[in-house]
Formats: sequence, structure tokens, C-alpha cells
Amino acid sequence: MNITKLSGVLGMITLMAGTALAHHSFTAEFDVNKPVKLTGKVTEMKFSNPHSWIYLDVETNGKVVNWALETGAANALIRRGWKKTDLPAGTVLHVDGWQARNGTATANVSSVTFPDGKRLFAGSSNESAPQQ
Amino acid sequence: MFTWSTKALFALSAVVLSAQQIKLPRTADGKPNLQGIWQVRGKAAADLQGKGIVEGGEIPYQPWAVTKKRENFTNRLAADPLGKCYLPGVPRIMYMEYPFQIFQTPEHVAITFEWSQVYRLIYTNGKPAPHEGIDSWMGDSRGRWEGDTLVVEVKAQNDKTWFDMAGDFHSDAMNVTERYRMVDPDTIQYEATIQDPKVFTKSWKISIPMTRQKNMSRLLEYQCQAEAEEANGAFERDPRTWYPKPGSPPSPLGKPAVMPPSGPLPEVKTGTNLRRTADGKPDLTGYYQSNAGGANYGLEQRRSELRLTPSTRGVIIDPPDRTLPYQPWARAERINREEPYRGYDDPTAHCFVAGVPRSMYVPSPVQILQPPGYVVMLFERMSWRIVPLDGRAHIPDNIRLWQGDSVGHWEGDSLVVDTTNMNGKTWLNEVGDVVSHAEHIVERFIPTADGKITYRATVTDPIAYTKPWTIEIPLNRANDELLEVACHEDNGDLQHLKDVRDEYRAQQKKEK
Repeated sequence: MNITKLSGVLGMITLMAGTALAHHSFTAEFDVNKPVKLTGKVTEMKFSNPHSWIYLDVETNGKVVNWALETGAANALIRRGWKKTDLPAGTVLHVDGWQARNGTATANVSSVTFPDGKRLFAGSSNESAPQQ
Repeated sequence: MFTWSTKALFALSAVVLSAQQIKLPRTADGKPNLQGIWQVRGKAAADLQGKGIVEGGEIPYQPWAVTKKRENFTNRLAADPLGKCYLPGVPRIMYMEYPFQIFQTPEHVAITFEWSQVYRLIYTNGKPAPHEGIDSWMGDSRGRWEGDTLVVEVKAQNDKTWFDMAGDFHSDAMNVTERYRMVDPDTIQYEATIQDPKVFTKSWKISIPMTRQKNMSRLLEYQCQAEAEEANGAFERDPRTWYPKPGSPPSPLGKPAVMPPSGPLPEVKTGTNLRRTADGKPDLTGYYQSNAGGANYGLEQRRSELRLTPSTRGVIIDPPDRTLPYQPWARAERINREEPYRGYDDPTAHCFVAGVPRSMYVPSPVQILQPPGYVVMLFERMSWRIVPLDGRAHIPDNIRLWQGDSVGHWEGDSLVVDTTNMNGKTWLNEVGDVVSHAEHIVERFIPTADGKITYRATVTDPIAYTKPWTIEIPLNRANDELLEVACHEDNGDLQHLKDVRDEYRAQQKKEK
């Protein structure tokens, strides 16, 4: 799957599926007052339910922290033709999101872009217009 | 009196001809009718290599796998995936000592299990799986009839399940071929042939009888994870809503309200050109998605003030002001449940089943089946509702279930489902709309056109509300199949929610 197709697919996914398959209160887990901007390399894309996760190595002042970034459910990704191999380790991504209230390196993803500016995600599991 | 040889001949012919001679129950299309409640009793769940289960006695492990199996056996109390309530996989789910119910239509065989409300949906319509390359705990099951035997190919299972409590295991290369052969009206001989070139030197087969449970009129629930979390304190019931044990003091709220009758609702016309089943009823069979306008975030309409909280359309059609007729305590509780430290208390955050009516509008699909005598709903978030249409009464009051006890009947072309015996542990959505064990739900599935259902649920709950209320949500059929949601395989969110709750509690303690 090429990047253009991928980003199109992902845009849809997160709009439709992020919220669509949430199983817990977004605002209870993530803090709207803690927006984060991260750049790093993908270490793993984990397809799972109730949410899939992108793990990203982010370097700050020489120290690497592996962030866990929550996205939509695996089933929503699968229904839109996604495969586990579509986001290989080493891919560089910029991620916007909101950090978990418990202060760990965990965030809910609102948007993901590639270094060339192409968008990967266009929403998050707290998208404010649920489709269902 | 038989001579020895005629006896032997008789025995032999009995074996050969049993299927023809013994009158089996059959479906309208002539297949053996497997419908009913069944159970396996015996040693298989503990150890497949016990007496007479594996053909030839032993599982043909490759040398490395013999060592691995021994390790599993040694560590079995901690290492058995079932100890964490993970989905058991096939064939293990079939011979765990919990009853299960088989439903049969020309296009599907569904098996619903008492264990954690797991189900299997076996497609017998000859279609291939629409989504490729996904493995799951329970795999993908496609079935066909070979004469009187139901043959099911189970593929794409992950490598995380075991065969039994003794640590017998497989890899993700396993394919299972199951054979369900009814040998008499009360016995299905179950065979499973296991192929896994990564772990075994050759394929091997198990054979186990399944027995019809004639004294069981319905499945109950064994919710593995919920029971564990209630026992160890990870999930706390709310004493104001859940069903007290017999003999416990009355609810602190005192007497339940006397409920007026539900208001008149706008009429919805059933469709004129509906697909119908053989018995003339509307055929609701299919994969549906609800268009619930965010009901899982709130039943009342609200515009999102914070950018990050979803807006909701509002699905209440009665009372006419479209707000829930809460008793004051329940409205206060509902508002409190929106605090971040209460997010942990929503049972679905723990991956417990959603209850009624929430199961119908969580943003996740449902498959409706209409086997003879029942309507069955299978939810992608791995739970089921079984609605018998035979006019039976509800189960005794002291049996309380996450999905309640449902009975149904047709009123013209509308399906009416009456549900009681709720356990009072469920929330109606993520913002915590309140419902108690006294909840009585009357649902109407009104088919307005082929593939379109207007779903209504009238909830009467005198502990939380002053009068009944009704929601309305469209359900739309789509051309797809259910996937698996093994929710607590990876529920990292719960720990985060718990951290928020624990921090709040620590703060409260400090302030005291």
C-alpha cells in the first residue's frame, strides 16, 4: 500500500472509527490540557482491540522514550483494508495528541504526519462527531 | 435368543446403519437439527491426553515441542491463558465444562457459550471470509454439510491458546477440521482433526461425545473476567443500583417510585415489501450497525462544550422534552460519573458486556439470526442475547444477569422483546446514564424496509427514574461479517483510568 492510499484510508479510519470503537471515556483517561507534539521513529504498530497502538521512539536531549499512542480499534482498520505490515518499524512520524492524565508516555492521537507533510491520521478516538 | 454370530452381525449393522435407523430431528431443509443446549463432561478440559480422547492416545509433538509442553505443564497454574480469561480458541471452547447452545439456519450455525458469553458464528453459505490475513483467538469458521455431518474448517487462530489445562499447545499455523455428527437425538459425536506442521509430526484427531442438556431451558452466564474482578475488588459494584443478596437490607433509597404508564409514542409503519422467513415473519437476519448519534456518550442531546467531548444527537423520544426523568439522587450520580476519576467505574472500560439496551447502541456491529423459535443477537464485542419466542416466562427473580433475561413475541410485523433480571451493574453509556437492577426493558424491532429497523426501547426503572422513558435508534443492515473483539487481551486503558481514580482517592484521604 503506498503512502497516498494509506493516508486516504487512515483519514477515513480515524474520522469514522476512532470514536466509533472507543470503549471507555476519553476525557477520563486523557487530559485536554496536556497536548503533546512528538517526532520519532515507529518501533511497532500493534493491531489490537479495543484500540490499536503505535509505539514511537522519541528522543529528547539525548534520552529516548518509547511513547504508546492510542488509535482506533483493529477491526475498524481491518474493515478499511489495513494490514499489519502497512506501518513498518523505522517510519518517521510527527504526532499530535493528548497525554494520559497519569503522566506516563501515553497519548491519544489526533493527527499523524509524515516528514513530507502528508497526513496519516485526521482525527482521534475523541473525534467530536461520532458517526454511530 | 441370538446366537453369538447373529449378535455380532446385529451389532455391526447397528453401527453401520445407526444414522438411518435412529430417527434424528431434522430442519426444514432436511439437515440433522443440532439446535439445543449441549455440554461435554469428562476429562478433556483437564487433559486431552487422558483416556480415549486423542486417537492413538498421544499427541504427536515434534521433539522441541515435547519440551515446551512439559514447561507449560510445570507452569500451568500461571501460564494457562484461560487463567487470564482470554478467549479459549477452538477446539478447547467445545469441551470446557460449560453448556453451550447451537442455533441453525440455512446460512449459519451459531454456537453461544455460557463461558464469558463467547460465541462462534460458522458460515455455511459457501462464501469465503471477506477480511483476509487476520488472526484471532477463535479463528474463522466456515462450514458445510457432508451428508448428515457438519464439517467446519477453522483457520487463522493465533498462537496464544492452549488445548487444555495440561499445557498442550499449538502454533499460529494450526488448522482445525471439526465434524459434528449426531448419532442419536441426544448425542453429537464431535471430532476435531488438528494440523500444525510447526508443532506436530503429523495431524491428529480427538473424538468427544456432546450430550443434550434436556433439563436446561436456557443458558445462564459465567462472566470469567467480571467474576474475577468482583472477587478481587478491581471492580466495585454500586450498592444503590445492583441487586442485593436475598435477605440484605433494603436499598438506602427507600421505596421505589410508583411508575405511571409510558406515554403514547409516534407510530412507525412497518414496511410493505419485507423479506420473510419460511414461517411468514419478517426476516431480520443480517449484520447491522446502529446510527445512534453518540448514544454511547449520552442519551440526552448535548452540544460539546469542550472540544474533546463528543456531541450527541439525543435519542430520547419520550418524555417529549427529550430528557431522562431522573430521580434527584440518580441525576446527581449521573453528573458525578462524568468526573475523570469515575471513568474507571464504567463496566465497559473493564471490557464487561454492555447490558440492555446499551448493547444495541455501542458503536460496534451486531449480527441478528432468526433460527426456528428464536431471535439471536451476536455482538462484535463478544457477547450474545438469546430471545426465545415460545411464550415462556422469565427466569426466577433471584437470578441476575449482565444481559438480563429476554423473551420475545411478534406483534404484527414488529418483534417485541421483554427483558428483566438485570444485575444493576451496567451503565447506559460512557457519561454514566444510570440504571438499576429494577430495570425492565421493552424493545421493539420495527422493520420499516428491507434491511432497515427502527429500534425502540422503553425502560421502566422505579429506583432511578420517576417515569418510563423511550429511546429510538435506526439499525441499518450492511454487507459485512463480524470480526472478533477480544477486548481485555490488551486493555491498557484500564490501568490509566485506575491511576486517575487512585490519585483522586489518595487526594481525598489527604484532605481528610
